[in-house]
Amino acid sequence: MGAWEGLELGLLLWRVQLQMFINQTIRSRQAGRIAGTIAGAAVILLAWSWEGFITWLGVQASHRVPIRVDTLHLLSLAFLAYTGVLVFSSLVFSLNALLLNPDLELLLAAPRSVESVLASRMVVQVIRLFVLSLLFTGPALVLLAIVNQNPLIPLAFAMLFFLYPIFVVVIISLMSLLLVRIIPVGRGREVLTLFGIALAIGINLANFLLNPALRDPGFTRHPGAAPSLPDVPAASSPWLPSGWAGRSAAAVLSGDWATAGQWLLLLLAASAVIFAAGSVLSGRLYMAGWIQAVPPRRRHAAARARRLKGKVPLLSPVLAAVVIKDWRMRTRDLAQLVRFLMPVVFLFVIFGLRFPRLLGAVRSLGDGPPAAMIGLIPAWILLFSLSISLGLSAVSLEGKSIWVYAASPNSTLRFLQAKCWSTALPVAVLVALAALAAEIMIRPGWLWAVTAVVLAIAESAAVTTLMVGIGAVFARFDWTDARRMMHPVGIFIGMGLFSIVSGVSALLLVISIALAAVTRFPLFTTWLAAMTISVGGAVAVAALSILFGNQRLRGLEVG
Amino acid sequence: MLSTRLLTKRYGSLTAVDDLDLEVGAGELFGFLGPNGAGKTTTIKMLVGLLRPSSGSARVAGIDITTEPEKAKALIGYVPDAATLYDKLSAQEFLEFSGDLYHVERRLRDRRIAALLKLFDLQERGDDFLSGYSRGMRQKVSLAAALLHDPQVLFLDEPTVGLDPQSARQMKDILQDFCREGKTVFFSTHILEIAERMCTRLAIINHGRLVAMGSLQDLRHMVGQDGQSLEQIFLELTGSREDDVSAVLRGLEG
Repeated sequence: MGAWEGLELGLLLWRVQLQMFINQTIRSRQAGRIAGTIAGAAVILLAWSWEGFITWLGVQASHRVPIRVDTLHLLSLAFLAYTGVLVFSSLVFSLNALLLNPDLELLLAAPRSVESVLASRMVVQVIRLFVLSLLFTGPALVLLAIVNQNPLIPLAFAMLFFLYPIFVVVIISLMSLLLVRIIPVGRGREVLTLFGIALAIGINLANFLLNPALRDPGFTRHPGAAPSLPDVPAASSPWLPSGWAGRSAAAVLSGDWATAGQWLLLLLAASAVIFAAGSVLSGRLYMAGWIQAVPPRRRHAAARARRLKGKVPLLSPVLAAVVIKDWRMRTRDLAQLVRFLMPVVFLFVIFGLRFPRLLGAVRSLGDGPPAAMIGLIPAWILLFSLSISLGLSAVSLEGKSIWVYAASPNSTLRFLQAKCWSTALPVAVLVALAALAAEIMIRPGWLWAVTAVVLAIAESAAVTTLMVGIGAVFARFDWTDARRMMHPVGIFIGMGLFSIVSGVSALLLVISIALAAVTRFPLFTTWLAAMTISVGGAVAVAALSILFGNQRLRGLEVG
Repeated sequence: MLSTRLLTKRYGSLTAVDDLDLEVGAGELFGFLGPNGAGKTTTIKMLVGLLRPSSGSARVAGIDITTEPEKAKALIGYVPDAATLYDKLSAQEFLEFSGDLYHVERRLRDRRIAALLKLFDLQERGDDFLSGYSRGMRQKVSLAAALLHDPQVLFLDEPTVGLDPQSARQMKDILQDFCREGKTVFFSTHILEIAERMCTRLAIINHGRLVAMGSLQDLRHMVGQDGQSLEQIFLELTGSREDDVSAVLRGLEG
């Protein structure tokens, strides 16, 4: 009964979400949003065309060069991999629904059973996943239907896409109900960030364990498994849902509808039972007081932080106040802290693990600017990551609290100045440290090493300032969530400008080396000239972006 | 101390505030009343420089808020409706930040913060993050921040929302003391009883237009019935629809 009512309520919730989506896009009456919707639709169409083309190429190639591939195992493997996506997505959705979304209480106050309310959340999640999977695979399925002259192929796959997520969504929803008992109210976003990190590490670990390139050479692959893909023999087991879905999908493609129907029915029956049982169990868990049972812990400023009384050498009290406030906000919010630390960790993973082999190769270049320039690569990767993540979000970091500064007797230019200090300072320090460490190891000659580090500091200050300006132009004050506060167009422009500034700088430095070789000018002179032009150009672009950013903030109305 | 001349705010075809003329003197506790969506918050936001008027002007202590915003803002304290504060700062840190933004000298700032935390009974929670504060406590923190730089004019948008009776009473006392020092309070409220008891003068707006301004006695004269409560005056001036409400409720029963 609860499951049935949940299905009905879920469809109602889905309709409301669809209405909200339409209201925020094509019915928004805002030119920017409508343009964004049209651009998004164009990108989807482009991606669909590309997918259709690739599928067509694949079909043609398989006709010309017959490859013996175990379709059943391959499809089972695909469904198993999809399970990983489902687990993470459902976990995020369920925790969001329980800890962050404000509408749960509204639904629970309605004259509906608790079971149906919790089941409706599962229904919404299943429909969402179903629509997404159709969005991703639609063109390929339509093309397969045309090639195989069988219009039922998309329909059969659509049923699989609808049924397969159910067991994952139900199990994860139940787990989430248990998890919220140990997650304090108000820490939901941070917990989600931790899950994000866990997923990133999980993918790396899975790659390390399953990628054939990293496997034991004596490992025997599943017969018929594609040689370039990871292999999990258990994926096609008849005892696992991935095996059922894989068998059904393989039978659909080969035109064996009886077998396809059998496995589909098994999946349908299992999903229905799990959904019904899950609805009842989730209701029981809720009624037993298992939801939001952890009271919010009182968090307070550490004694060390209290000693920071708003003083930063060389900065005016207003600038220092903003710099210290930003630093506190960044370091106290786990999601913000992760944005700051992750690039450093990944840099270590990318370069640190391969360090001895790389170092030998670079040292073989001998003294001089080429070795010094190569030493800047890790610093540049760090600069890219930090300037984008910290610089672009610097202004949006204020969120709805922007009124505090806006109501104060200070100019917007001073605000941007403070934001430049609060981001460029830590970025320049970290980039300088990375550059210094690389140059010490490479030893390209002290003079070249010093110029390389100076270049890294100057460019990081300029590039981060550039990002602060772009972030001001595309500032979003509606979000406090680190993932959402940056505007996608801002990110796109920021990345583009970073590439242009870096590319031009590298080109100038290479030209300076070539110029010295051709004209017999001292190499150090041409190198310094190239550095000056490069930094000067970056500073000019940064200043321009700050002017644009200031213009945007001056026109800002805090409504 | 505060004046507006033909102050107007338009959003596309919607006129939120329409040719508003106000005069508020020093030492006045001025109540700004109106039904939901009448334009109270929009007016206050224009007066504190958060919104730009579409036309007209507003002056605080003779300084135009649009042409000289920084000079005018230095004289203003502002408490918004449902203040969003920095969740990851403690009340103490937020007040320090606020003091620095308003150029309050460090030692004076620290002295005032200690006094304000004591006044609002927040000393023990001063080092707690604002994320753990209730709505009423946040309201107290934002009032403390607004008072920290000793402003000449205090703007408050629905200041008593979320406050318990003791805190609401305390806020009323603070605002009256503030006015006794010759400073001005301009606040919007839905609670007519508070406005009736506290305000020296009142203004009522409806659909963005000023419908009445003056002391309670002036308003009574305006509607032509002495002895009427502010609630009756308000409903009369803003077009009460009590009969319609009863009819709709009866319809729901059927």
